[in-house]
Amino acid sequence: MEHQKCYVFNRQGGRPAKKRRLNNSNLPSSWPLRETTYNELWAAQEKRINDVLSEVNKATTGEITAFVSAAATESRTSACRIPTGLVVAGPSIASHRTLFEHLGRDIVTQTRSAFVLLTSAECPNLKTLLKDLIKNATARSTEDDEDDEVAGNASQKGPKLLNYDLQLLYLWFRIQNLDQVVVAFQDSEAFDGSLLGEAIELFKFWSDRVPFVLLFGIATTVETLENKLPRSAKRCIEGQKFDVTQADKVLERVFHAAIDGDDVPLRLGPSLSTQLLDRQKDHVQSVDAFIEGLKYAYMSHFYANPLSLLLRQDIRYEQLSSDDIEAVRNLDSFRQLAERLLDDGEAALVRYLLESDIVLFKNVKEQLEEGQLRISNMVKAIETLYALRRCSPKMPIIPRSSLYVRAVSGELNGSPAVRELLLSVKKASSDILVQILDALLASTPEDALSIMLSLRERLVALMESNEDSSTPLRSEHDLRNETFRTTIVAQKVELSKQKSALSKKDAAYSKLVDECHSRLEAYFAEMFINPQELFLHEIFLYDLKSPHKDAFTPRPRYAVERALSAPQDYLGCDCCHSAAGSDGTESTLSSTQPSTAILYQLYLESGSLINVSDLWSAFQAIMVDDDDEQSLTMALFQRALAELRCLGLIKSSRKKTDHVAKLAWKGL
Amino acid sequence: MLPDELLTILNDQYPCRELQLRQLAALYAPSLPSPSAVVAHGLEATGKSSIIKSFLKSSNIPHAIIDSRECITGRHLLERTASCVDAYQNFGDGEANTPLYSRTENISALAVHLQRLLEGAGRFVLVFDGIDRQREAPPTLLPALARFGEIISNLSIIFIVQVPSPRLLHSPGVPHIFFAPYTRDQAIKILSTDPPSIFLEPPSPSAEYTDDLAAEDNAWLWTRFLGVVWDSLAKGAARDIVSFRSVATKLWRPFVQPIVDGTFGTRDFSRLMVHRRTLFQSEVALLDGIIPKDPVSTATARSTAKAITHDLPYYSKYLLCAAYLASYNPARQDPIYFMKATDKRRRKRERLLAIFRAIVPHAVPQSADIYTQIATLASLRLLLRSGVGGGDALDASCKWRVNFGWDFVTGLGRSVGFEVAEFLAGGGE
Repeated sequence: MEHQKCYVFNRQGGRPAKKRRLNNSNLPSSWPLRETTYNELWAAQEKRINDVLSEVNKATTGEITAFVSAAATESRTSACRIPTGLVVAGPSIASHRTLFEHLGRDIVTQTRSAFVLLTSAECPNLKTLLKDLIKNATARSTEDDEDDEVAGNASQKGPKLLNYDLQLLYLWFRIQNLDQVVVAFQDSEAFDGSLLGEAIELFKFWSDRVPFVLLFGIATTVETLENKLPRSAKRCIEGQKFDVTQADKVLERVFHAAIDGDDVPLRLGPSLSTQLLDRQKDHVQSVDAFIEGLKYAYMSHFYANPLSLLLRQDIRYEQLSSDDIEAVRNLDSFRQLAERLLDDGEAALVRYLLESDIVLFKNVKEQLEEGQLRISNMVKAIETLYALRRCSPKMPIIPRSSLYVRAVSGELNGSPAVRELLLSVKKASSDILVQILDALLASTPEDALSIMLSLRERLVALMESNEDSSTPLRSEHDLRNETFRTTIVAQKVELSKQKSALSKKDAAYSKLVDECHSRLEAYFAEMFINPQELFLHEIFLYDLKSPHKDAFTPRPRYAVERALSAPQDYLGCDCCHSAAGSDGTESTLSSTQPSTAILYQLYLESGSLINVSDLWSAFQAIMVDDDDEQSLTMALFQRALAELRCLGLIKSSRKKTDHVAKLAWKGL
Repeated sequence: MLPDELLTILNDQYPCRELQLRQLAALYAPSLPSPSAVVAHGLEATGKSSIIKSFLKSSNIPHAIIDSRECITGRHLLERTASCVDAYQNFGDGEANTPLYSRTENISALAVHLQRLLEGAGRFVLVFDGIDRQREAPPTLLPALARFGEIISNLSIIFIVQVPSPRLLHSPGVPHIFFAPYTRDQAIKILSTDPPSIFLEPPSPSAEYTDDLAAEDNAWLWTRFLGVVWDSLAKGAARDIVSFRSVATKLWRPFVQPIVDGTFGTRDFSRLMVHRRTLFQSEVALLDGIIPKDPVSTATARSTAKAITHDLPYYSKYLLCAAYLASYNPARQDPIYFMKATDKRRRKRERLLAIFRAIVPHAVPQSADIYTQIATLASLRLLLRSGVGGGDALDASCKWRVNFGWDFVTGLGRSVGFEVAEFLAGGGE
């Protein structure tokens, strides 16, 4: 433990058996087919997401590429400042790499420039920075065309240049016949300020020979970068700021891509989507992490649920085993269905479903499609709700993702979000109602289109007949059509509401509004079902939290602390368990526990400086009943102490002799 | 060309530098042997490099200029010197002959190479520009270079430095040429040689405003404008000619805007001054920013800049608040402010985490995501590792330091509904 910080574990013999769950012999026969299904379905889903991402990225990269190509055309004199793009990409630094890679590809293909990406890890000092810069720039050309590279070598005469000499870049640049060299600093915050300053000044000296364009990736603010650079460097560059789309907006669009569409086979359930979205908000803002989570959801669904096979469009009865069919009968939603059917007096059908596999299979196929259709209709209704809420200016914007979470947990029907909207429709004046109808038209399915069109026509006709076009038509529910009347009866003031007399047009308009309102109400009530009540929802909704928790949010410290403070839970042996106290009281220390665990629990009780001698006597008191085994106990004690140190819990202290310093507190 | 004619031309080109040019001409007169080393010194932007360069060029003295700012290491400087001299000597030979040397590893090698290269050649001047700012220079670099003239008789070296120390070259009797900073009148005289125009495009063809008239107006207004800029801003903060010019050009367009708009005539200098006095009262023009700012309307620019802000994750904000509190609160007062945390902790990550748990209003799962965020914040340089903690970021005893200010942390705290001042010893300001 003293000499080495880590050890390589060489295992002898085969792997332990329990790890080999991938071994095909233990798996149900449908597994290969499930794997193919997963691959197909995920590929389609991934493509949808990637389309969204590239579309989002295109906006920013296009802008920056335009800036770079504009810099190429303007003439450079030595007094000119270096054109610089400040790319404010937000605090999710994990996604910066992808952004800059996209950007580099675009810049190289669309402008005649070389693109070099530098990261702080590669550039601890100026020499290495330049080395990397030259290496990355010139390496690119060898891939492209090797003839130029040979010519480049031939034109170099005289002694070999040092590998950090920008002369190399200059020679290469002259041969390549390029317009400029784009140097991007991916994580400008992590670069040393003076290093950046020196590099910028150096680029400035060379900019009469090699036209540079600089790009800085910024995670915080432009001011942070400006404060960091020395003044002389700031004088060398002049630039423009580019804002990358915020991570939460990108996430919203990716989430939408993951749930919207008729061909989305598997959707996230309420608790899992809440968990994924909360993690984005609270811990990591990274779209990549969300996509990984989604992918993992697909993977675990197809791995762990044999019924996921039914999501295949072309599934045939023969491909299912009788176990799989039996599994359908064990679903909660099947039981609910059976009970419902029995209540309706359809006992014969229930009997069929229970007895005949093929009848059940056919029924399942139908019901699955029906269920998916209803979910996808629900998503469309969410879209409608979202669009309508945006029409009225006063309503707060609720993101689509949170509407989805509410809808999929069955809470949206009659929820404030819907009621608020319906109320505002009632009170809407004609100009807003037109917008609402337009938004509705855009998202109405074919069958209801004619009704909507006729509503709109009637409204337009009404509005045209309204001569006084400056004031829109108002319905009877509008507050402006109500007056308050105060009457004094027996020295008490009575307040009574009274509808003012409506004009004929307003009355007609009110009728129209009422019709619109009732239609919308009915539509939402029909669409916002509770998906958990649908038959087979276990197949097309994935809502298991724990696999994600284990895979994405490990709790190493908690695991270590818990294992050390309650070893009996893990060991499961009789001796330690009895010591834990059968009456449910706090676990007590016993000599049968592992020595490290005993020492850890003693350690928890002590202060920030621990006297090792005291620790030893306490340890000894627990371990030893007679004095014979003292040397053995000492060995155990020393090993336990070394292990605690190895875990980073204690370290030797110079403050007091014979003391060790406590480094970690439980529960942090 | 005769030296006198040469001097007249150079004097026209570089006004206010007669003395220095005369000294140069005397030191490098064709008929006389030139000194083996000369030091030209003066502050930033006093014309040292450009005057020496044009002097050597126009008097046809064989020379090579090595800019220290382009040389990354001392070795780089030596290599560059050798190759520059080589390139000059072999220039025009047509066929590239095999170089006389391969590498210049140290100063002695350079001496040998130069000796070989300059053998039999006439006088050669080597200029080291900004040699006092050379990165990674060996300590013997300057004294050794100064002695090259003793070994190589036909070599003369000019050192261009900003401030010479008395023992810079460790050798007595080296002639120094001092490039004094320009005075107010000199600076204005130099800048007024090239006045920018008031009107970017001619006002209107009907008005008989000829080019000559325009040029006269430009020069008249520009000179007066320069005087005002110097007295108000540049005298204190931009005394060298380059920053003076940049301040003046930054202010010029907003200054003449009323003339372009037609509010004032071109000669209404005093009224224009009164009208645009705010330009000279604010110091925005002196600040160097990457994104060019309009000196008149900074307020509007700031409001648009805030349109898109990237938000930190929820717990990251709390972590930063906790880090700030851990840095600025004395550890012994922790029980007062964070009653939930009873243990006494030192200024370490453990204390940061303890305070973090104390200030977050609800229970936080003990997951690895928290550590990921600490690592992210560290790579954003919002938290800095300090002290002897060493390379291991996972070490609990490693000490951390915050790298942001009070304004930032209060803003952060408020965005999550946490008032930092309530927990700060002394109540924050």
